[in-house]
Amino acid sequence: MDKQEFSTHISEMLNRNLEDLFNHILEMGGMVERQLENALQALGSSDVDKAQEVISFDKAINHAEMEIDRLCAKVLARQQPTASDLRLILAAIRIAIDLERMGDEVVKLAKMVIIFGKHDGLKCSDIQGYAELVDISNRSSVMLKMTLDSFARVSTDSVGKVIREEEVIDDIFKKIEKDLKESLKTSPDQIECLMEMIIALRAAERVSDHARNIVESILYLVQGDDVRNLDESRLNDLLNSLESSKG
Amino acid sequence: MSEQNMSIAIDRHHRGMTLDTEETAIVVKNWNLYYGSKQALQNITMKLPQNRVTAFIGPSGCGKSTLLRCFNRMNDLIDIVSVEGEMLLHGEDMYAKEMDVAALRRRVGMVFQKPNPFPKSIYENVSYGLRLQGINDKNVLDETVEWALKGAGLWEEVKDRLDENALGLSGGQQQRLCIARAIAIKPEVLLLDEPTSALDPISTLAIEELIFELKKDFTILIVTHNMQQAARVSDYTAFMYMGDLIEYTDTDSLFTNPQVKRTEDYISGRYG
Repeated sequence: MDKQEFSTHISEMLNRNLEDLFNHILEMGGMVERQLENALQALGSSDVDKAQEVISFDKAINHAEMEIDRLCAKVLARQQPTASDLRLILAAIRIAIDLERMGDEVVKLAKMVIIFGKHDGLKCSDIQGYAELVDISNRSSVMLKMTLDSFARVSTDSVGKVIREEEVIDDIFKKIEKDLKESLKTSPDQIECLMEMIIALRAAERVSDHARNIVESILYLVQGDDVRNLDESRLNDLLNSLESSKG
Repeated sequence: MSEQNMSIAIDRHHRGMTLDTEETAIVVKNWNLYYGSKQALQNITMKLPQNRVTAFIGPSGCGKSTLLRCFNRMNDLIDIVSVEGEMLLHGEDMYAKEMDVAALRRRVGMVFQKPNPFPKSIYENVSYGLRLQGINDKNVLDETVEWALKGAGLWEEVKDRLDENALGLSGGQQQRLCIARAIAIKPEVLLLDEPTSALDPISTLAIEELIFELKKDFTILIVTHNMQQAARVSDYTAFMYMGDLIEYTDTDSLFTNPQVKRTEDYISGRYG
């Protein structure tokens, strides 16, 4: 399947609406991408103003989701899409929800910068877990780029990579979460900082979960397969078949 | 993203068509129609926007076709019909005593449910209205026939066989020919009474696409039993029930968030 197929209907209005939907999703994805980059910069330089900007901008992401919902409702009500067009609408609704929630998670990262900013001389980078937070955030950011690229090309090429990477991030998160919980016991004076770090780490890890959800929606769009609740062995089979069909 | 872009994103959510900002082609005021003593249209008041497609939907017998026929005074042909109220085409009283009905019908063209080409050539079908108006200049006729057939999306299919009998065309082609015949005399308003009910799905989509294109030049009023068609082609939709205009608004709103329960029941298939 390629994107051009969505512009070959007899109805020009349907072509235009679906094109519009693609553009809205990509635009919203770009907004979340920039949010994540800005939050990472704010974290790196303990920049409270930048963090505040990230928090304010979340409204625009929320409205982008509403706009996509409105467009999907319009196409469903007025043009009765079927087959891949219908899957595109259903996928777009899910993807918009995931992007909006990614935006919420990024806000949590920004809030950590603001909370630490209230403690003189304390930098995020001084807290245990910061290296992992940066690592998870960077990996999540790359995943988000890959998912948006896949959506733009209506391609399942990155599905395997994104799902595998999400599993790597899970492992990194579980390990550092365990370490931080140990530290909570041994350094009760750092409870506030460590708790904030756990919240931020979980938020960064959740971004990758949403990126995974998005590629699953793309897989549904392209192939009609719903892989949301597959057990591990069936998921592996599917990923292997995707890999071999690529090669 | 800047604050400005953010406000654009927010504004988009509120964007939409509204009758209040449209140029008006036809005004209907307190319009009543009776077949003998039986009232078929009750106190209809509405403004029909120019260069837009307005669809009339509703169950059989709701009065939508009766109302459509009022716009070119086709009901005059039925003896027992009487009307009350006002109907203005660009401010001009369509039912004034001095109104020349034939001239009105040139300004308000009509295409019917079943394609009804004359048993003549394709060329003669399209040029018929012009000839009736006394236009016999070959160049003018040629140009207009080509323009109308192009406008109806039929030119490429028939340009090499304009002299062939129109009855040899497929159903979908015949209906587009009827649309070409109607637009050849350049009316201001085009009335379409179930224009695709006798056509297959692909011909239907072709006509729907044509309707979308034609609104650039004409005000289009369409009656359809197929509400999905109304949803696909129209800018505004009027829902009628038992002679009343129940709800009339932009098509997006009517099909996603109707304000009247009866409209909701009808468009969602709960009408009993």
